[in-house]
Amino acid sequence: MKHLNEEEMTEQYYKQGKAHARRHLEACAECAEDFAAFKSDLDAMQSAELPARDAAYGERVWRSIAPCLPVYEARKRSWLRSGAWRGLSYASACAVLVAGAFIAGRVWEHMQIRTTAGANPTAIPQKATPPQQRLVVVVLSDHLERSERLLVELKHADAGSEEMVSPLRDEARSLLTANRVCRRNAEKNDDPALAAALARLDHLLVELANHQGGLNAAALARLQEEMNSDSLLFEVRVLRSRIPDQQPAANKRPIGGTI
Amino acid sequence: MVRMGKNDHAAVRAILAGDKEAYGALVVRHSHSLFRVAFRITGNEADAEDVVQEAFLRGYQKLESFEARSSFGTWIYRIAVRGALDRISRRPAVDSSRVAGSADPEQDEVQVADTAVRPDRLLLSGEIGALLQSALQRLTPAERTAFVLRHMEDCTAEEIAAALGIAPNAAKQAVFRAVKKLRIRLAALRVKR
Repeated sequence: MKHLNEEEMTEQYYKQGKAHARRHLEACAECAEDFAAFKSDLDAMQSAELPARDAAYGERVWRSIAPCLPVYEARKRSWLRSGAWRGLSYASACAVLVAGAFIAGRVWEHMQIRTTAGANPTAIPQKATPPQQRLVVVVLSDHLERSERLLVELKHADAGSEEMVSPLRDEARSLLTANRVCRRNAEKNDDPALAAALARLDHLLVELANHQGGLNAAALARLQEEMNSDSLLFEVRVLRSRIPDQQPAANKRPIGGTI
Repeated sequence: MVRMGKNDHAAVRAILAGDKEAYGALVVRHSHSLFRVAFRITGNEADAEDVVQEAFLRGYQKLESFEARSSFGTWIYRIAVRGALDRISRRPAVDSSRVAGSADPEQDEVQVADTAVRPDRLLLSGEIGALLQSALQRLTPAERTAFVLRHMEDCTAEEIAAALGIAPNAAKQAVFRAVKKLRIRLAALRVKR
């Protein structure tokens, strides 16, 4: 049986004890005796007799402090302190908070775009592209993707297989027109890197499309060597990476292919 | 002349509207209870009077922050309790090394005739007030204030906590410690057979 400690007795004395402690006190003679002694001690601890203060004491206190007290300015516009005004203040504060959060969000978004642009200075800023320019970007993106595919196939092409070479020739012819449009546009927009790459690609496409007597092994090997020495495939991939993705996320395909 | 009859909240509204005299009613109404608690905490009549005056002065200065949800009496009472606590905290510390156990308990022991049913536990009522004051002086200011509020002013732990600005459990512990120290200190006064 666990007897009451002094803290529990203190709680019992001030009638804030727990029920189980009270039940124990009723059942345990030893604790009851200790508690009686405890109670006797505390009962005896009474305050020293209070010095008498007559009925006029309050008025004396008031007279002693009154000269020191300034008069509160009357609240002429008491409605300002009313609940309605307080509610209006809360609403205004909330509106300011929401507006602040909105502006901060816009500023943050703007800064993110600038940071991204700063980190990759060669990237074409998507938001700065006017509508007609955006069409050119889409065409260029598509052209570079097809060209890259062609170059990959050319790199792995086997001159002995007409089934492999023939589609390359057709695709090269098909790409020639778009390549010239894109090249002229790059020159017009003062983008020498793109224009130079497209010029080298143009030369390769012409040779591939119009090679005299068809693509024999020697011709194919020369084209492959020319492509490799110019690092044309690599350059096309770099150019593609400069173009922001125009497609929805669901339609995204990885850039480049296996070599 | 102090005007009476207005309730506390109406008086506060009147004061804040420019009627300084309305504060007089509040001072008269609450002076006695403030003096009582201030005297019990400080144990000194002059200090208690100073605490009462300061409490009403501070109360007037802070009246705009008084929220009508609470009672003015409770609010000004807490200001007085804190004022009294500040006052005893500024006093030079009394040597409390003897509180935990008198170096010479015989010095404090008073022998009396055995007239009560439990003479072994009897305390001298005539001298106990002064001796209790002496024992109270040796408590820490917080313990002393907590004990006075609990034992003499019949405040709950929550009320003590609110008055002292501490957690209710801390208020309970302060009371426990005070009771323990006082019982040890006053044990020497018990009549031994």
